[in-house]
Amino acid sequence: MASNREELWSTSDLTLGELDRDGAIRETVERVSGETRATFLEKAVVGGAALLGAALAAPAASGATAKSDVAILNYALTLEYLQAAFYTETERLGAVGGELKPVPRQLGAVERAHVTAIKAALGRAAVKRPAFDFRGVTEDQTKFLKTAVAFEDLGAAAYKAQAPRIKSPALLAAAISIHSVEARHAAWMRFLAGVTPAATAFDQGKSIREVKAIVASTRFIVGHPKKTSTKNPHFTG
Amino acid sequence: MAKGNGGQRRVGGALGVAAAAIAAAGIAVLVSSRSASLSSVEGAQALPASSPSALTVPLPVRLPRSGTVAHWASVRRDVTARASPSYRASAVEELATTTPEGTANLVQVVGRARDREGRLWIHVRLPVLPNSRTGWVPRQALGVYGVVHTHLLIDLERLRATLRRDGRPIFRAPIGVGRPEWPTPKGEFYIRDMVTRYRSPFFGPLAFGTSARSSGLTDWPGGGFIGIHGTDEPELLPGRVSHGCIRLRNQDILELGRLMPVGTPVTIR
Repeated sequence: MASNREELWSTSDLTLGELDRDGAIRETVERVSGETRATFLEKAVVGGAALLGAALAAPAASGATAKSDVAILNYALTLEYLQAAFYTETERLGAVGGELKPVPRQLGAVERAHVTAIKAALGRAAVKRPAFDFRGVTEDQTKFLKTAVAFEDLGAAAYKAQAPRIKSPALLAAAISIHSVEARHAAWMRFLAGVTPAATAFDQGKSIREVKAIVASTRFIVGHPKKTSTKNPHFTG
Repeated sequence: MAKGNGGQRRVGGALGVAAAAIAAAGIAVLVSSRSASLSSVEGAQALPASSPSALTVPLPVRLPRSGTVAHWASVRRDVTARASPSYRASAVEELATTTPEGTANLVQVVGRARDREGRLWIHVRLPVLPNSRTGWVPRQALGVYGVVHTHLLIDLERLRATLRRDGRPIFRAPIGVGRPEWPTPKGEFYIRDMVTRYRSPFFGPLAFGTSARSSGLTDWPGGGFIGIHGTDEPELLPGRVSHGCIRLRNQDILELGRLMPVGTPVTIR
């Protein structure tokens, strides 16, 4: 799949200011790490998944159990936002059909349930949903399936890597219950793509840094388009 | 057992062998390991109970079945809209990334097709004259997609605006429309942006920009776009009183601002 990903995605770096137009990333960083980290990120050139980077810094920086679990949950929420948006847009546009037609409907319903559950658990601490530009992948049969394989593999690997870092047993139980579903999705997508569903006896997790780099390379996470203005209108009246 | 059940018998036999092997392995573990004894299994009852999940797990969230979903897309880079899905097709209009109000330039998505080389083109409704015109742009030139469940109907005869969500009316209000010499254009349009906190009292507290344009006031600043906005002359509504814009009482435009997202399709008839 590596070559397919390279074919699909090209790497691009954005500044935080370009990426974080609605302040969601800064909000997360400030919540979990304090102003210093936010200021650092403001000046830095970061990848398209800077939101994930915010979670990466949180546990080490805060040292508090509750804060580190909140950061991990927000990291998971960002991945779930990405997956849910991907399948939701595909289902709504209706351009993916054939044997893949049930995929966005079924996986989208599950990923939206994950979003709902994690947001409810986080309450007001939940990060805002970013905007997504899927660049035509949700309207292309082949690219959709390749991306679905990559996303589900990524989701399973991300949860796996974070599980040992979760302090709360109840949150760990919740994370594992989602992780196994992501793994089932990954196997299903791999089967549809003609890729061995379980090629190894033991799976490796992916660190936040690795996940961040992969998500950034997609350039799928973007700023919200500006839809309101305070300029004096020039309509005909 | 009948001959035809030979396959089942073989399967049953294989399962029996497997079960015996698993049982033998289990016994071997119990015998060989001091920790895995019958007494330790009994002791397992003293282990703490497994943790309940911290999440209240909802059922899978299906998308609502609705016949009124409409999509918009932001223009990511300056692009030429063409008459058909091909770089060789004639140019219809140049699309910029921003509107005269400084917001992202949105287009309404009405379809898609691939050219001979397999490139994806998106059929979009354009904010150009003649009104209701459509064109094709390469998907690469577009950015974020959005979705709305609302549709605004402007009835020029009855002087009434009706907003529907998922087909159901959720808002109705009397309106002012264009005078006979500056008629409000008929056709299919969409909401491009929303403007608030500006200085002019003429437009009331809030104004929506639409993709509709006056066919008579083409030299108007900003291109003669038709707005949907409040007013400082509410006593004139309903009526044919404007330069083509659609005026609402201020309390009505504020309510519409709460209910109608940018990107909403607009039918003026």
